[in-house]
Amino acid sequence: MASLTSRVLVLAAAAALVAAALPASAQGFDVRTHTLKNGMKILVQEDHSIPNVALYIFYRIGSRNERPGITGISHFFEHMMFNGAKKYGPGEFDRSMEANGGSNNAYTSENLTVYQDWFPRSALPLIFDLEADRIQYLSFNPEIVESERGVIASERRSSVDGDNFGILDEQLSAAAFIAHPYQWPVVGWMSDIEAWTLDDLKNHFKMGYSPSNATMVVSGDVTFDEIVALAQKYIEPIPSAAPPPKVMTREPEQLGERRVVVRKFAQLPIVMMAYHVPETEHADYYPLQALQTILFSGQSSRMYKRLVDRDQLALSVSGGSGWSFDPSLFSITAQPKAGVDPAAVEKAVYEELDRIKTDAVTDEELEKAKNILLSGFYRQIKTISGRSNAMGTYEVFFGDFKKLFSAADDFANVTKADVQRVARQYFTANNRTVATLVPDAPAEKK
Amino acid sequence: MTRTLRIACSLLVVLALTAPALAQPGSLTLPAYRKVVLKNGLTLLLMEQHEVPMVSFSVFVRAGSVSDPAAREGVASMTAALLRKGSKTRSADQFSAELDFIGGAFGAGASVDSTSASAEFMKKDLAKGLDLLSDALMRPVFPQDEVAKLVAQRVDGIKSAKDRAQGVLSAYFNAYLYGKHPYGRPTGGDESSVASITRDDVVKFYEANYTPGGTVMAVVGDFAAAEMEKQLTDTFAAWPAKTVPAVAVPDAPAVAGRKLLLVDKPDSTQTYFRIGNVGIKRANPDRVLIEIVNTLFGGRFTSMINTELRIKSGLTYGANSGFSEWKAKGPFFIGSYTRNASTEKALDMTLDVLKRLHEKGISEDDLKSAKAYLRGQFPPDIETADQLAGVLSELIFNGLDEREIDTYYARIDAASMADINRVIKQYFPLDNLVFVLVGKGSEIQAIAKKYAPVIDRKSISAVGF
Repeated sequence: MASLTSRVLVLAAAAALVAAALPASAQGFDVRTHTLKNGMKILVQEDHSIPNVALYIFYRIGSRNERPGITGISHFFEHMMFNGAKKYGPGEFDRSMEANGGSNNAYTSENLTVYQDWFPRSALPLIFDLEADRIQYLSFNPEIVESERGVIASERRSSVDGDNFGILDEQLSAAAFIAHPYQWPVVGWMSDIEAWTLDDLKNHFKMGYSPSNATMVVSGDVTFDEIVALAQKYIEPIPSAAPPPKVMTREPEQLGERRVVVRKFAQLPIVMMAYHVPETEHADYYPLQALQTILFSGQSSRMYKRLVDRDQLALSVSGGSGWSFDPSLFSITAQPKAGVDPAAVEKAVYEELDRIKTDAVTDEELEKAKNILLSGFYRQIKTISGRSNAMGTYEVFFGDFKKLFSAADDFANVTKADVQRVARQYFTANNRTVATLVPDAPAEKK
Repeated sequence: MTRTLRIACSLLVVLALTAPALAQPGSLTLPAYRKVVLKNGLTLLLMEQHEVPMVSFSVFVRAGSVSDPAAREGVASMTAALLRKGSKTRSADQFSAELDFIGGAFGAGASVDSTSASAEFMKKDLAKGLDLLSDALMRPVFPQDEVAKLVAQRVDGIKSAKDRAQGVLSAYFNAYLYGKHPYGRPTGGDESSVASITRDDVVKFYEANYTPGGTVMAVVGDFAAAEMEKQLTDTFAAWPAKTVPAVAVPDAPAVAGRKLLLVDKPDSTQTYFRIGNVGIKRANPDRVLIEIVNTLFGGRFTSMINTELRIKSGLTYGANSGFSEWKAKGPFFIGSYTRNASTEKALDMTLDVLKRLHEKGISEDDLKSAKAYLRGQFPPDIETADQLAGVLSELIFNGLDEREIDTYYARIDAASMADINRVIKQYFPLDNLVFVLVGKGSEIQAIAKKYAPVIDRKSISAVGF
């Protein structure tokens, strides 16, 4: 996974969540919900096995809510959320949290901005105080904005400039989407990073940070009642505002293959292929997940066996789609071995996709995919942070966390014919964008 | 995009392995486990955990890269990867098909002092899982075609890794810091050593280094310990006893003075750097005190280093420090990255912060904060069966035991300012420093001589590290 770009990392993390399918036979964990008067919904799952808590807040705002000129502002804003508010000034959010045994992180994707706090239960009131302070009274100090701009430029240099997979993935999305906001990178174009203004930040806050646009998920050594009481005290007084404007743009149907070439210093080439697929809530989601598992999961998967093992064309091959509110991409990434023409890798990938269109998958492959999802589910829910993430993700992308518990049934309903149908429908040449990274400097002599 | 790469934490991985387990706030003990040593010398550790219907294995074998023969660096690492690629009863294909069909997980890899393997299966598939695991550990045959395939992949894998500075910085740093000492050799090998590895090298490495007496296996999960002990004994008693390899790695002396390696990566828009020297071994009696100081210096978000280089100045996305605790003294390093034009500023700032640590020490408030942080962050490190298996097997393999965890909070609490000041002087180098910079040579070579009288240069495209 180390070779994936940051942006794909978010998708990859989401893909792992797919595994969070609870079989009909398995027991769900007990989740209780409460909605505050200002509209924020809270999910609580009690688990007293360790004296710690994982508290996640999902805001339904991400790079899809941006426009050219301010790309990356969601991610920039995510950083600013740690840089001082009214009660807790610059640096005090982190200092207070760490001094009380807690730590935090956050991530931004095309769809969401998610804040994560991990802390001992003794820090519960502090965490609510910190979260309420920044949701309500975030400050925008111009000097800190400039400093944070440098941090993000450095992040972009690492995840894009300094990572060939990152560069190529950015170019791939930019070519695959011509209309929809999924075309720009979550981190933003460098010229936008350099140009964001204080007003851009303030507007973004107004647009996306209403409590009614957020879901709080708490798992760990807590009681439902104490979380509701804390939320009522600290969060409920925060007034609600209008949700972000709907994203109206729909990506038009792609009518022919698009190709992108990136030439730069490298020892090895990379090839990526992306196909437009529907959003997470679409009925084809589970057939596509099955297809993804059969193609890419484990060393017995079709693509690994063909490209890495049998034909020895590629060093690695991976693929899949992530969670999304709008129609998204199913991307395939392969790194050709030294001396192998990327075109040969591309051809082998298409042959494997065609094989599914003509011969369908086997009963055994479908059964295997189910087992992989089941064990993945258990892996996902064995930690409090895994549970917080799973509950929140199902809540926002399927509109109901309970989908987590029916996912296995939904998956079990997938048939071989479904898998073949989606392969035929989406994996077509016209629906495809191909990006190739071509080493610019002569590769080292073998 | 994430706010901080969890790398800041993963640098502490070795320290985190010191990881204790939990109970009530204020107390912390490793859950009870049973230790059994089979007649062939294999050490088994069994711990019941019934939260989810899975069973996790963690295995440590005294088969580290320090045992790679000369000019065959990478053999330990390749041997680990080939364990699943064919046995007396299964082909590589069959192993993968059976493993994936039950949704199981299996992985193996080499580090400097050991090869470790982990596996995880659903309870209902335990018999199959155990058969796969024992096949990999006891009955690998290393088919010629699988060896050849892996050699070719690994050579290209090193080239691919060198396309990303962050991924290879530590290999260059360790090689430059340790020189001819065994810890200076690349664990995964280099383009040339890997290309020369044959099936015979792998077979010989396995025969000499994979012994039941040199192996510790922890099993944690949803089972009854007595029954599991019988199952494991039935399975692994057949592993023939062998002489446990004698592996003695001497402590490397600290590098005296300063030296700097500049690795030229002509497309780089940032300089990625590590600064450090020889650090501490796993069994260092001051390890918890060192962890406290490192937490404050470079081990968490508000650390001194990250505060200066990221929070206050915006020079970088991340800066941190860490000690790799190996059997003999592993590296201590401070690491960060910044755009080419601010390389000098970031390096100066890093050295200033190090100087400040020595001159001003840390405050009582900081000490209190670090103690609370380490205490609060520890329980999730031993939350799950696979984490417990990993922690337990690592402790026993390295000659430690549950006291490491049971006394962890007490040792944190007992740390005094006098201890802290002593540890800063004793373990954090100030004047004797090794620098490794990976970046665009034409833009940063002019400033390199400011930091060391000795400057060495390499091209990232050249073979080796």
